[in-house]
Amino acid sequence: MSGQNAVRSPSGWRRYRLLWVGGLLVALVCLAALCAPWVTPYSPYDLDVADMLQAPSATHWLGTDEIGRDVLSRTVFAARISLQVGLVAVAVGLFGGLLIGVVAGYWGGLLDLALMRAMELLFSFPAILLAIVLMAVLGTSILNAMVAIGIIFIPGFARLARVSTQKVLRQSYIDAARTIGMADARILQREILPNVMTPLLVEAMTAFAYAVILESSLSFLGLGAQPPEPSWGNMLSTGRGFMAQAPWLAIVPGAALFVGVLGFNLLGDGLRDFFDPRMKD
Amino acid sequence: MLRLIVVRLAWFVPTILVTSMVLFLAVNVIPGSAAKAALGIDATPQAIARFEHELGLDRPLYVQYFEWLAKVLQGDFGTSFQNRVPVGPEILARLPVTLELALLAFLIANLIAVPLGAFAAYHHQRPVDTVISAIATLFGAIPTFWMATLLILLLGMTLRWLPAGGYVPFADNPAMNLRLLLMPALSLGVVSSALLLRIMRAEMIEVLSSDYIRTAFAKGANPSIVIWKHALRNSLIPFLTVGAVEFGWLFGGVVIIEDIFLLPGLGSLVLVGIINRDYPVLLSSVLVITVVVLTLNLVVDLLAAVLDPRQVYARSEQ
Amino acid sequence: MQEQIRPRRRLDSPPVLAVDNLSVQLQTRQGTARVVDGVNLEVWPGEIVGVIGESGSGKTMTALSVLRLMPQVARIVGGDIRLSGTSLPSLSDAQMRKLRGNRMALIPQDPLSALNPVQPIGRQVGEPFVLHRRSRWQAALQQAVRLLGAVHLPLPETRAAEYPHQFSGGMRQRAMTAMALALEPDLLIADEPTTALDVTIQAQVLRLLGEIRDEHATAILLITHDLGVVAESCDWVYVMYAGRIVEEGPVGRLFAHPSHPYTQALLNATPSIELAQTELAAIPGRIPSPYEIGPGCRFADRCAQRLARCAQEPPLLPVAAEHLARCWLLEESRG
Repeated sequence: MSGQNAVRSPSGWRRYRLLWVGGLLVALVCLAALCAPWVTPYSPYDLDVADMLQAPSATHWLGTDEIGRDVLSRTVFAARISLQVGLVAVAVGLFGGLLIGVVAGYWGGLLDLALMRAMELLFSFPAILLAIVLMAVLGTSILNAMVAIGIIFIPGFARLARVSTQKVLRQSYIDAARTIGMADARILQREILPNVMTPLLVEAMTAFAYAVILESSLSFLGLGAQPPEPSWGNMLSTGRGFMAQAPWLAIVPGAALFVGVLGFNLLGDGLRDFFDPRMKD
Repeated sequence: MLRLIVVRLAWFVPTILVTSMVLFLAVNVIPGSAAKAALGIDATPQAIARFEHELGLDRPLYVQYFEWLAKVLQGDFGTSFQNRVPVGPEILARLPVTLELALLAFLIANLIAVPLGAFAAYHHQRPVDTVISAIATLFGAIPTFWMATLLILLLGMTLRWLPAGGYVPFADNPAMNLRLLLMPALSLGVVSSALLLRIMRAEMIEVLSSDYIRTAFAKGANPSIVIWKHALRNSLIPFLTVGAVEFGWLFGGVVIIEDIFLLPGLGSLVLVGIINRDYPVLLSSVLVITVVVLTLNLVVDLLAAVLDPRQVYARSEQ
Repeated sequence: MQEQIRPRRRLDSPPVLAVDNLSVQLQTRQGTARVVDGVNLEVWPGEIVGVIGESGSGKTMTALSVLRLMPQVARIVGGDIRLSGTSLPSLSDAQMRKLRGNRMALIPQDPLSALNPVQPIGRQVGEPFVLHRRSRWQAALQQAVRLLGAVHLPLPETRAAEYPHQFSGGMRQRAMTAMALALEPDLLIADEPTTALDVTIQAQVLRLLGEIRDEHATAILLITHDLGVVAESCDWVYVMYAGRIVEEGPVGRLFAHPSHPYTQALLNATPSIELAQTELAAIPGRIPSPYEIGPGCRFADRCAQRLARCAQEPPLLPVAAEHLARCWLLEESRG
């Protein structure tokens, strides 16, 4: 009754703080990725052996790595890999899941059963393990990492798409549409898709955060982005070897990763509250 | 209850079979790759053909699969390409390390998540709740390997409280074993606790708003009796179902954590298998981890069912 | 309809429950809602008192305020509640806990959701003995079996070990009643105890409440929207509308001579307010939102007999001995 108004009335900061903070962090990461060549003081690849393992200073704000590359520049450039992998992987998962989920939810029956059992199977694999096996099979490259991570997301999106499809199907106007002879394709396009997309897009933010973690995990293990290409994961991995002399090498890329993941998580939470205030705790 | 166990088991066995099939196909789908991995990139086609014939790799895949499956069921996991030793004993030796790490991490995650989640739920929409939820959000955004790095920097190198890597079997030296596993388990457990805490809090908020909680208060019960005796078990039922999935994720993190802390478990064996392109090793270690995860999922699922009399008595009602 | 009126005021004892000018407000982001506004009511020993009103009238909030079990956003902003002379709002939470389930108990609306699904019935019914009398669980379970037998539950020993989902609706409400009765409270608050039950079971539960009153002289506050329930079981009735008591009196008297237009509208055709609401909906206007209550009579918007002076809210005016109604018409008719 009064719930709707009670939640909606205070405008601005308090109500949308998750959206604001999340959006700000995500914008920061996106900006870093887009403007990397213009905002970084050094090239991420230029090495300078004379300057290796320098502590943070006025010339190198976040220090230099084991072969004298500027850590700040590499960290900023690494945002590109993370976002690229995130975008492609989430797109693969979203469209794969959408297709499977809507088909299963719309036609139901044996097809539904078979598809969803397969999804359940895929879902019960530990995600990182699945990604690792896929990488081992597909071969180590950043493109394969995108596909492998995308495949992991398919079951989650498929479940969500199926539930949302079934929810829409229970509405009486769908029966009405069928009665007046509207074709399946048209019902799917006009009624189902718009209603299914909202929860899927909200979920996409959370998946994006997870994609960033998975990409950096793979790169950390040497299965994702290959040196000298900077990625937060492989930077952290090299940095581990110099923790006594140069702890910033492990701290900085991890912090960047943390900011990116936090941003997408908050944005996801914020969007969920925004679209479904009743779900807000 | 019996019915429930039968149904779950009936689903469990084919799941594992299909999993094994998928894994086997995935690893064997690239022709000649096994031979190349074993013989080196510049092996002659004749050498490859001979190698494949010796190992029976030139036969149809399904024949190979069933042969492999039959052997695996007898405990024969094949021979490593790399050093020509049987994989089975290696797996057996490494399994306890991984199990101990995962269980310890899961324990830590729950010790953080359950009390804090319940506490936050009881103080729903008050400052304590906001603070706990915010901390959970922050922890949830930390990748396990960064958490491990930070812990090593802090507890290992700066404070020198804990050794930063290595392994001693529990039987040899229990205290040292636990000291060595504490940091890896913390890295996994603290990160996993974030999601579990959010689930616990949400379930607890839902339960605390239900009528039977009001009944408990109406009887004059104090908040701690209400939470621990009336609300906890009801929250645990959905919590465990979701928690089982998180347990799977936690197991995936084991690969990285074992690598970082130099633990001789199944996770590091997976990496050995990948780096050496040693397919019998890779296939067996991944299969065993997956079976362990699925088994633990099953156990947790059944545990959730045992907690719920509506499911235990489901059959007698029909 | 029972015409016999029980002796309401016994001079040797105070009422079991006296609610005195009670006001309860909800503080939400939307503002302040006056959900209970200056309510007076009394329940005397051995008396069943009905509070009738539609959802949103404030009847349940009044009952929950007595037990201090209202939702967190609700706050008592004025007035007093006395249990056998003890003022409740000034008690600490710990002191309130000693009274709840002990000297006053609640029978809730929906017995299925009010029973813990994962605990056996016997354990739940016996718990008050553990909480208030420091009984051991074994002794408490024996008490639970005795109580379940006392509320006419067949096979109480077997049933005590069962879970709520194995009970029928009527059995659950008996179990809830047994739980509330456990320590023989002075005051029983029954919040729509029959709403979730079908008609034959309703009658059984009401008969049970009557028995309890007769045997233990328990005072019972019965919250309901069902006029039939009031007619069948209550001695005294308060009619609530938009947080106010608009009419009160002995049941027989009030049903024979309803004096507030709202009560009249209710009694006109239908046995239940939920049904009556559909008819009331035909009347123009709506129930005022508790967030925006003006100075006038709260029913004025939809009252066919509205007068100019209804812009000012009337006090409770006497209709007859012990019968009051909040309506200017009473003065008009008297000239």
